[in-house]
Amino acid sequence: MKAWSLLLVLLVALPLVVGVVNLPTHDAPDAPIHTGVGVRYLERGVEETGNKNLVTAVLLNYRGFDTFFEVIVIFTALAAVLALPRGSAARPGGFPEEAAHEADGAGGRPAEAAREANGAGVPVSPVVSYVVRLMAPFMAMFALAMLFRGHVTPGGGFQAAAVFAAIFIALGLVLGPARVAELVPDDWRPWLQGAAPLAFALIAAIGWRLTGAFLGFPTDDHTAQEAMGLFLEVGIALGGGVILARLFLEMET
Amino acid sequence: MLLFGLDLDYVLVIVLFCVGLYMLVSKSNLLKKLLGLNVMETAVFAFIVTSGMIEGGDPPILVAGTAAPYASPIPQAMVLTGIVVAVSVTAVALALIVQIHAHFGTIEVDELKELP
Amino acid sequence: MSDVFDAVMLTLLIATAVSVARARDLLAAVVIFSLYSLTMTLVWQHRGAPDVAMTEAAVGAGVTTVLFFITIARTTRREKR
Repeated sequence: MKAWSLLLVLLVALPLVVGVVNLPTHDAPDAPIHTGVGVRYLERGVEETGNKNLVTAVLLNYRGFDTFFEVIVIFTALAAVLALPRGSAARPGGFPEEAAHEADGAGGRPAEAAREANGAGVPVSPVVSYVVRLMAPFMAMFALAMLFRGHVTPGGGFQAAAVFAAIFIALGLVLGPARVAELVPDDWRPWLQGAAPLAFALIAAIGWRLTGAFLGFPTDDHTAQEAMGLFLEVGIALGGGVILARLFLEMET
Repeated sequence: MLLFGLDLDYVLVIVLFCVGLYMLVSKSNLLKKLLGLNVMETAVFAFIVTSGMIEGGDPPILVAGTAAPYASPIPQAMVLTGIVVAVSVTAVALALIVQIHAHFGTIEVDELKELP
Repeated sequence: MSDVFDAVMLTLLIATAVSVARARDLLAAVVIFSLYSLTMTLVWQHRGAPDVAMTEAAVGAGVTTVLFFITIARTTRREKR
């Protein structure tokens, strides 16, 4: 079994290496990546999009459709996790067959041990708890700084979403998921989870109204461009952060 | 760097990809397979970002501290999208692994194949 | 000098990836995987991609590792065979 796996890996590796031999050296200035459409992005990117951070310009403006469907992908991932059956060993619900088995007295399953370990609740060290609660506001400030300065410094929507989710997860591990779930109010939760695709759809409609192209940014009106870009970034950060936090909550409880 | 006519950066990333592929194919534990998938994904991202480098290049952020030549922004945008997709796939796969363990009691593929 | 940095970082990446493959204790494998994620962050920062490096740092250390830990807590900790 291991020998066949090694053989498969070698069979995959050889064509890859042969393919790489014919590529230009990775930092050659005359590689096709630097002489194609990238030249236009580098030269006219700032004046056409108003973003000094060209990666944000490419993500939101030049390749906006890619980002639109990628936020739909992560939303679909959350939908898939929520669509799984809600019973598991550590929950009082359980699958119907499992409940019947346990009622029969068929003990000793690994599920029982898992339920014991999770239901007891591991005590959290006070040092860890204090440090996490102390750092949480600074992490939030850093996330907000990255979000709102995403057009001039490295940063942007996804980074802010990941840091928001990290704050949520760190506090959730320290304070318990029940308390932390209150950070995202129940009636706002569906709207917050869908915030990124909704923001994109709204900006796409506005862009259609302003320029005649779906998700088109008006190149002459810089204020409108900046406002639309910022709205998209906030939508991505909120939506992505709440989705990742919800994924953590679904797995933890 | 060039070594025997091969670009060493690319070749090392291909070796990383093959390590991940080996973990995905030959390990029996589902969690190990998922770790192998993650290693493969990050190796591909490293390949894409490496292909956008330029010699002595700065990040493609046109502020006062950086100067031409700039690394290309297109591979970096693609990799950002890819990282989000990788996180989504990992989250769904982990939820499925938890359900499989709760339902069958094991996450080894060898034992799952023996079940009726 | 930057070539030496590149070579050392990539070798470290391969070493950590092989360690993840060989670890029998799944908790150790996930911790080494988060180290792999951190090394990848340094590699991307060196390649002039700070956006990607920040995203990978936040996602690899925060979200992916914690989700793996929760999964290990709900399933088994050791790999058989």
